Amino acid sequence: MSISFSPARIWTLASATVTQLVRMKILAFLLVFCVIVVAAGFAFPVMNPEQQLKLLKDVSFGALQVFSVVIAIVSTALLLPRDLEDRTLYTILSKPVPRFEYLLGKLIGVLVLIGTGLILMDIAFSAVLWIRQNLVLDQSITALKQQGVATPEAIAQLNDFVGRQGLTWNVHLGVLAIFLKAAVITALALMISCFASSTLFTVVITFCVTIIGHGQGLIREQFLRGTFSTFVEKTFSALLAIITPDLSVFDVVDNVINGELVTSASLGIMIGTAAMYVVGYAVVSHLLFVEKEL
Amino acid sequence: MSSTPASHEPLNTREQTLHWSWRGVCSRRHLQALAVFLCLGAAKLPVEEAATQHLRTAKLLTAPVSLGLRESLGQMSFAASLGGLRSLVASVTYLRAYREWENINWAKVDSLFQLTTRLQPMYPNYWDEAAWHMAYNAASSYLYNEEINPMLRGQLYEQHVQRGVNILLEGLRFLPDDARLWTALAEIYDQRLHDHRKAATCYLQVHRISRQDRYARFAGYQYAQASDPDSWEKGYDLLKAAYDKKQRQPSVIDQLKNLEEKLRIPLPLRIPDAHQALENPQSLIGPMR
Repeated sequence: MSISFSPARIWTLASATVTQLVRMKILAFLLVFCVIVVAAGFAFPVMNPEQQLKLLKDVSFGALQVFSVVIAIVSTALLLPRDLEDRTLYTILSKPVPRFEYLLGKLIGVLVLIGTGLILMDIAFSAVLWIRQNLVLDQSITALKQQGVATPEAIAQLNDFVGRQGLTWNVHLGVLAIFLKAAVITALALMISCFASSTLFTVVITFCVTIIGHGQGLIREQFLRGTFSTFVEKTFSALLAIITPDLSVFDVVDNVINGELVTSASLGIMIGTAAMYVVGYAVVSHLLFVEKEL
Repeated sequence: MSSTPASHEPLNTREQTLHWSWRGVCSRRHLQALAVFLCLGAAKLPVEEAATQHLRTAKLLTAPVSLGLRESLGQMSFAASLGGLRSLVASVTYLRAYREWENINWAKVDSLFQLTTRLQPMYPNYWDEAAWHMAYNAASSYLYNEEINPMLRGQLYEQHVQRGVNILLEGLRFLPDDARLWTALAEIYDQRLHDHRKAATCYLQVHRISRQDRYARFAGYQYAQASDPDSWEKGYDLLKAAYDKKQRQPSVIDQLKNLEEKLRIPLPLRIPDAHQALENPQSLIGPMR
């Protein structure tokens, strides 16, 4: 008897995964994040306006990246062992649920959790950035008035300058890039957990691959340019380039903070690259999991 | 108890585990998974390369400068160890440099700014500020420090001014079209090293990037202050062009008059004297002040 593909079933599994992760108190990080953002937003008032806003963005984006990568790795690594331990996995798979639907449900559940967390943190971050931006602008205009140089041109220039460093749509696109990177890491962790012998193994290996993935671009370039001379170097670099994803493709945040614009073409390329990895790793996960002895 | 041949014995636990693992690893599905994984790995390389190139063109990713293999690998491992947190770490090292500046620890300021600029080479403020600390603050601090031997003071002054120049030149390898860095370099050449030819060259770069005429004029002033006739000619051409575009500030007129004398410009080609314009404000031939 063949079982048809059911999006509703996948969604049910995804919702259950979100509930399971929320019960693990993973979202407590949100509170920590809010404290960090508010502290960064109102610290160092002696710095120039540009530096104040840059520091706030640096700290907030840093916290967003840490949150997304840690949740992607740890929560995904915990899922399969926890389901095995609780015997939930047997209950689910004894019903007419194909294994790939179970995996997809888990993957989507983690992505929904990370996405929701990032949206909530983006809202908190945007609010603090907007308040800070207006405070900085008011202080700068007051300073100009005190110096007697508050001409309309000077104020317009200041508005433009602070506006570019402050809250723009670009900031949200930076958050989207962080989500895409987290999605790739989640799919990678799921693939590793399908053949891993323990949760610790999944966590350690995924962290290692994530770190190497940030330098994969340079390894690949050196390999493709033929910079390496010995056979061992060539083989090792080729192997690393093939087995690890290029996570630096999603590291646009550094330049977004400096005011570079994310174009729709660039956004499309990042989404396409993330989709390629997620689909590829999901297929490999399915092949590893479909006949796994549980 | 008599021993039975091994082939008839049931497998012990260890053998069973090995047997199971070998079967597990070599199952058809696992080989398929490995094949798909390796195919994906090979197929993704050109996609990753194209994506990286596009994002670099869009200035969303920082292109590495052409460094040697060893330095590239150093940069790679540095980038990899920080992941996407380079900007945050750069901010932290910048704040530490700020504190060391307050403590007047110039060596530490330099090393922390070096780290900061390495982490975020595309942010011009860091290069500008690092050079300013070395060429102005550190250099002057050593020059006026009476606890140091006078000979050594001069040497330390020159070394730190040169360090400021080197920082900006390194920054310009990453940001060759940044007007702010070219202006900072021009100011150091002018005010600290009194190398007016190099200062003029830098101002011409700023003019090329910003298309603002005043920077061509600044280059003209610098050439006019140089000591060789070739530079005077260049300065004369730039200032005369500014004069002809009705940019007739007192400094332009003074420098032009000065250069006309130095270059022995024939009288009919010289600009009118300033006093003529003052005597006859309606005249169109005099300088417009």
